[in-house]
Amino acid sequence: MKILKLAFIGGAMGLTAFSASAETFRWASNTDPQTMDPHAVNSAPVLSFLNNIYEGLVRRNQGMSIEGSLAQSWEPLSDDNGWRFNLREGVTFQDGSLFNSEDVMFSYERASSEAADVRSWFAPVKEVRVVDDYTIDFVTNAPNPLFPDSIANFMILDKGWAEANGAELPARDAENFATMNVNGTGPFTVTSRDPGIKTVLTPNAGWWGAAEHNVSEAIFTPIGNAATGLAALLSGEIDFIQPIPLQDVTQVEGRNGFKVLEGEETRVIMFGFGHEHEELLYSSDVTGANPFQDVRVRQAAAHAIDIASIDRVLFRGKIDGASQLVPAGISGYSEANSTRPAYDPERAKALLTEAGYPNGFSFGLKCPNDRYINDEALCRAAASMFAAVGLNAELSTGPVRDYWPQLREDAFDMYLLGWSPGTFDMEHPIRFLLSTPNSEKKLGSWNFGGYSNQRVDTLLPSIQQEIDPEKRQAMVDEVVAITQAEAAYIPLYTQPLIWAAKDNIDLTQRADNFFMLRWVTVNLSEIRAKRRWFILL
Amino acid sequence: MVYFIVKRMIQSVFVMLAVAFLAFSLFRFVGDPITQMTGVETSVVDQERLREELGLNDPFVSQFIRFTGDMLQGDFGYSYRTRQPVADMITERVPATLELGVVALIISLLVGVPAGVYTALKPRGIWTQTILMTTLVGVSVPTFVIGIMLIFLFGVQLGWLPTFGRGGTVQIGNWESSLFTFSGWRALLLPAITLGVYQLTLTMRLVRAEMMEVMRSDYIRFAMARGVPMRKLHYKHAMVNTMVPVITIIGLQFGGVIAFSIVTESVFQWPGMGLLFLESIRFVDIPVMGVYLVVIAFFFVLVNLVVDLLYVAIDPRLRLRELE
Amino acid sequence: MIAFLKKYEGLWLFVHSPSAIVAAMVATLIILGAIFASWIALVNPYDLASFSLFDGLLPPVWQDGANPKYLLGTDDQGRDMISAILYGARLSLIIGLSALTIAAVIGVGLGLAAGYYGGRFDAVVMRIADVQLALPAILTALLIDGIARGILPAAIQQDLRVAVLTLAIALSLWVNFARTARATTFVQMNKEYVQAAIMMGQRPSRVMFVHILPNILGPLLVIMTVDLASAILLEATLSFLGIGLPADSPSLGTLIRIGMQFMLSGEWWILWIPTLFLIALVVSINILGDFLRDIFNPRLR
Repeated sequence: MKILKLAFIGGAMGLTAFSASAETFRWASNTDPQTMDPHAVNSAPVLSFLNNIYEGLVRRNQGMSIEGSLAQSWEPLSDDNGWRFNLREGVTFQDGSLFNSEDVMFSYERASSEAADVRSWFAPVKEVRVVDDYTIDFVTNAPNPLFPDSIANFMILDKGWAEANGAELPARDAENFATMNVNGTGPFTVTSRDPGIKTVLTPNAGWWGAAEHNVSEAIFTPIGNAATGLAALLSGEIDFIQPIPLQDVTQVEGRNGFKVLEGEETRVIMFGFGHEHEELLYSSDVTGANPFQDVRVRQAAAHAIDIASIDRVLFRGKIDGASQLVPAGISGYSEANSTRPAYDPERAKALLTEAGYPNGFSFGLKCPNDRYINDEALCRAAASMFAAVGLNAELSTGPVRDYWPQLREDAFDMYLLGWSPGTFDMEHPIRFLLSTPNSEKKLGSWNFGGYSNQRVDTLLPSIQQEIDPEKRQAMVDEVVAITQAEAAYIPLYTQPLIWAAKDNIDLTQRADNFFMLRWVTVNLSEIRAKRRWFILL
Repeated sequence: MVYFIVKRMIQSVFVMLAVAFLAFSLFRFVGDPITQMTGVETSVVDQERLREELGLNDPFVSQFIRFTGDMLQGDFGYSYRTRQPVADMITERVPATLELGVVALIISLLVGVPAGVYTALKPRGIWTQTILMTTLVGVSVPTFVIGIMLIFLFGVQLGWLPTFGRGGTVQIGNWESSLFTFSGWRALLLPAITLGVYQLTLTMRLVRAEMMEVMRSDYIRFAMARGVPMRKLHYKHAMVNTMVPVITIIGLQFGGVIAFSIVTESVFQWPGMGLLFLESIRFVDIPVMGVYLVVIAFFFVLVNLVVDLLYVAIDPRLRLRELE
Repeated sequence: MIAFLKKYEGLWLFVHSPSAIVAAMVATLIILGAIFASWIALVNPYDLASFSLFDGLLPPVWQDGANPKYLLGTDDQGRDMISAILYGARLSLIIGLSALTIAAVIGVGLGLAAGYYGGRFDAVVMRIADVQLALPAILTALLIDGIARGILPAAIQQDLRVAVLTLAIALSLWVNFARTARATTFVQMNKEYVQAAIMMGQRPSRVMFVHILPNILGPLLVIMTVDLASAILLEATLSFLGIGLPADSPSLGTLIRIGMQFMLSGEWWILWIPTLFLIALVVSINILGDFLRDIFNPRLR
C-alpha cells in the first residue's frame, strides 16, 4: 500500500542546469478562483490560489504538517479552553502596513461574520481576546486539541486596508474591493486580475520568509477543456497544469521534456446508502421495502466490487483501495481496521439469499459525471459488477450542479460521494458523514442517507475534546469498527492526484491538491542551457 | 417603410420578453446555485440564509418582475459566482465573440459562395467532385472533434499556432480587439476555421442548389436564346435570383455561428460570451445566464430585421406583399 | 423512347452514378446493421451484465494484445466496439430521424402557412421563430431536460431521456425549415398557378400542400439531409457539453464523446471507430439526399 508520499521531484537534466535566474512561470487549471477574497467562499481552488498571497496563523508544509506562519508559536491556554498564539514581529502587508494582533482580530470577526463562508471554522470559538500587539487568545467552548490544525486556511487581512476600501465584510451581492484586489502578507501579490481569463502574480519583495523559488512572474489561465489544457502544455505554451486526465499520463510521460507528478489525494471515494429510506425509489421489482436497510444486503454490495480491476482498467494502477473514510496517513486513520471488504461475488450472492433476495433486485444508482476523476466510468463499472451478483443498478448520471440538490431531496437508492477531510483528521468525516443529521448542532450535513448510530454520536464530542492521542485514537478506532461492521458506506479508493509539468520545473505536489508558487523553481531547459552556454564562450 | 420598422421593433420587444420569461422560468431546473457558491463545510442554516438573501425563495413572478424591472433600468445584476456586475462581464466578452463570428462568417462566405457557383456551373468536373466530397466529410464530423484535431495538429505537432486564448489585444475605447496584432490573428485562425467549416458547407450547397435550379429556369433559357453572353447570364440574372433563399440562410447562419461558437469557444478557451455562458451553466450563475439570453435575443432580432429589410430591397415582389 | 427514359430518368441517373451507388450501399448496410443490431451483435452494450471490465481497453484484432472475439477491440468498460457502434447507430438514427420529422412537420407547416397567409399570422410565427432561435440548441436541450426532470416522476425519467433529447433537438431545427419554407412560399405566391388555384376557390390547405409544397421541396430536401446529419452531430455535441445521453445507453455521438478522452492516450480505436462510422453514415445520407433532390425536382420532368 502506498503511503502518503511527497511528490517532490527534482528537475534533472543531462547537462548542467543553469537555475537561479528569475523566470516567468505559466500555469493552468480547470477552474478559475472565483474571488480574491479569502473569506468569501470556502472552495479549494480559491483557497489554494490565495495561499500564495495571503497567510494565516499557521500553514501546512510540503508534508502536510502544521507549522507556524504568521504565528511563531502557540500553546494551550492555561486558564481556559483554547489556544494562545504568539505572532511574528516585523511582518508587513504588501502595501507596507505593519501586521499585528489587531489585524488578526479584525480578520477573525470578518471571517466569522454571517457574510463569510468560512465561519464554520470558528464554530468552536467562544471569544477572541487581544492580549498585546503580538499575542492573541482564541477561547473555545470546549477543549479543542485540533483547533490550530483546523485554521490552516484562515487568512489574515489588513484591518486598515479593508476599512479604507469598504471591504470590512466579504461581498455578498455586488463585488467589493477585496473581490478583485489583494493586500496580503504572503510571498506573491496580484498585479492583474481578469476573472475567468487571466491572473498575473509577482513576488512580494517585502515578504518575511526566505524565497525558495525563482519565479519573477506567474501567469495563471483557467482552461476548462482537458484536451485543450493538455495541448497547451505539450505545445510549450504553459509550464504546468493540474490536473490532467489519467489516460493521458502515458502520452505525457512518453514525450521528451515533460513529466507527470502522481500522488494520492486525501479524498476517499465511496458509495452511500439511503439508510432512512423506507422503500426503494427506482426499483422495478421491490416495493414497500428498502433492502439496503438490511446490513447483509449492504455488505453484499460491498463484496461485489472488484477494486483491483477498477484500478487496473480505469485508473491504470494509480489508486489505493480504501477501507475507511480517510486515506492512510491521515491523522486518526485506524490501522486496526484497515482491511476493506474483499471482492467475493459468491459471498455477496450468499448474503443476498440470506437476506431474502436470492435473485437480487433492481435499484437506482446515482452518480455525478463531472465531479470526480472517472466518476461516470467508475459507476458504470460498478453497476456492471453489481449486476453480476444480481443487484441490477439503473445508473443515472448528471452534472454535479444538479447532483447535490437531488441528494438533498433523497432522490436516490445508492449514490457516489467523494470526501476530503478539511482538517486532515478522521474527526471531520465522522462529523459530516457519520453523525446523525442535526442542523442545529451542524452535524451530519453531508450524511444524505441519514446513517445513524447512537454510540457514534456519543463518541464524537469526546473525540473532539480528547487531548491524549492514544485515548483519542482508541475512540476513533471504535467508530471505524462500528461503521465498517454496519457498512454505513462502501469506501472504494483514494482518488489519485495527477499533475503534469515541463521537465525543467521543480515543484511540490501537496496531497490537498494545493499548489504553492513559493516552491517552484524554473530551471533553464536543456535547449536554452545550451544556448546560454554557447554565449558564454 | 418606417411603419414597417417600427412595427418590427415593437414585435422585437415582445420577443425579448418572451425569451426572458421562458429562460427565467426554467432556471429553477438547471441546478442549485447555492451549493456552487458555498463550500462543503457551510452549514445548512447558512445556506438557507444565503438563499433568502438572494431572493431565491420568493415566488417566481416576483423574481421575474424584479429581473425585468432591473434590466429596464439598466441594472443587470451581479454574478452569483464572482460578484462582478453582469453588464461588465458581458460587454467585456462581446468583442471576442463578435470578431470570431464575423471572421468565421466571412471565411464561410468567401469560400462557400464561389465554391457553390463553381460546382453548380461545372457539375461533372473533377474539382467539383473533390470539393463536394471534402465538404461532405467536413460536415460529418462534430465541431469539437475538428477543433481538437486542429489544435493538436497545428498547435502541438507543428507548433505553428497557439492552442488556446486570444493572443495579444489592443484596446480601442471600450472594445478590446485582437485583430490588430499578429498574435491575435494567429490565435483567431483555428477557431474561425473550426466555426466556419459547417457554415461554409451549408452555404456552398445552398448556393449550388439554387444556382442549378435557376440555371434551368425558363427565363434563363430565353435569355440564352436571345444571345445574352453566358457570363452576363450567370452573374446578373442567375445569381440575383439565387440570393433570396441565400440571404435567409446567411441570416440563419449568423445565428448558427453564435450558437456554435459556444462549442468552439469551449474547445479553444476563447474568452467570448459563449464560454461565459457555458461556465455560467456549470456554476448555475443565474444572473449571467439570464442576461446572456436576453442579449442574444437582441442580436437575433437585430439580424432578422436586417435580413428582412434586405429581402424586401432585393425582391420587388416581396415589397408588394409587405405593403398589403 | 425518350418518354420512357424521362420517366425513369431518376433510375438511369442513379445506375450511372458510382458515388450514388456506393453511398446507397454503405447507407443500406449501416441501416440494416442498425436495425438488426440485436441479432448480429456479440454483446448488448445496454445490458450491464453482458460485459466486464476485465475485457476493457483491448485493441483491434490486428494489434498486439487483442482478443479475436472482439474484432475491433473494446472500450474502457469492456464493451465490444462493433456491438457498440451498431447499437449506437440505431439510437443515433432513431433520434435523428424522429427529431428531423418533428422539426420538418412543425417547420414546414408553419412556414407554408406564414407564407400563404402573410400579415399578422406571419408576424407571429416569425416572432416565435425568433424566440426559438435566440435560445441556443444547447440551452433548449438543457431546459427541456430540466423541465422533464422537474415534472416527471423519478422512476421514468431515465427511460424518457431519449424522448426528451429528441424533442430538444427537434425544437432547435424547426426554424431552418420554417424560414426557408416561408421565403420560398412567398416567391411561389406570386406565380400564376397559385393565383389561378386561389381564384378557382380551392381550399387554402389544398393550395398549400398540393400546389405549393411540391415546388418548394428542392431547398427543403437539401436542408433535410444536412439537418439529419445536424441532428446526429448535435446529439454528440450535447453529450460533449454534458447534456446528452448517459453513457450506459450510448448513441454514436456519446461514443465519440467518450472516445475523445482517449484520443491521444494510445487507445485510438475508442474514438476513431465510432467517428469513421459516423462519417460514413452521414456522408452516404448526404449523397443520397442530393440524389433525391435532383430526382424530385419537378423542373426536370
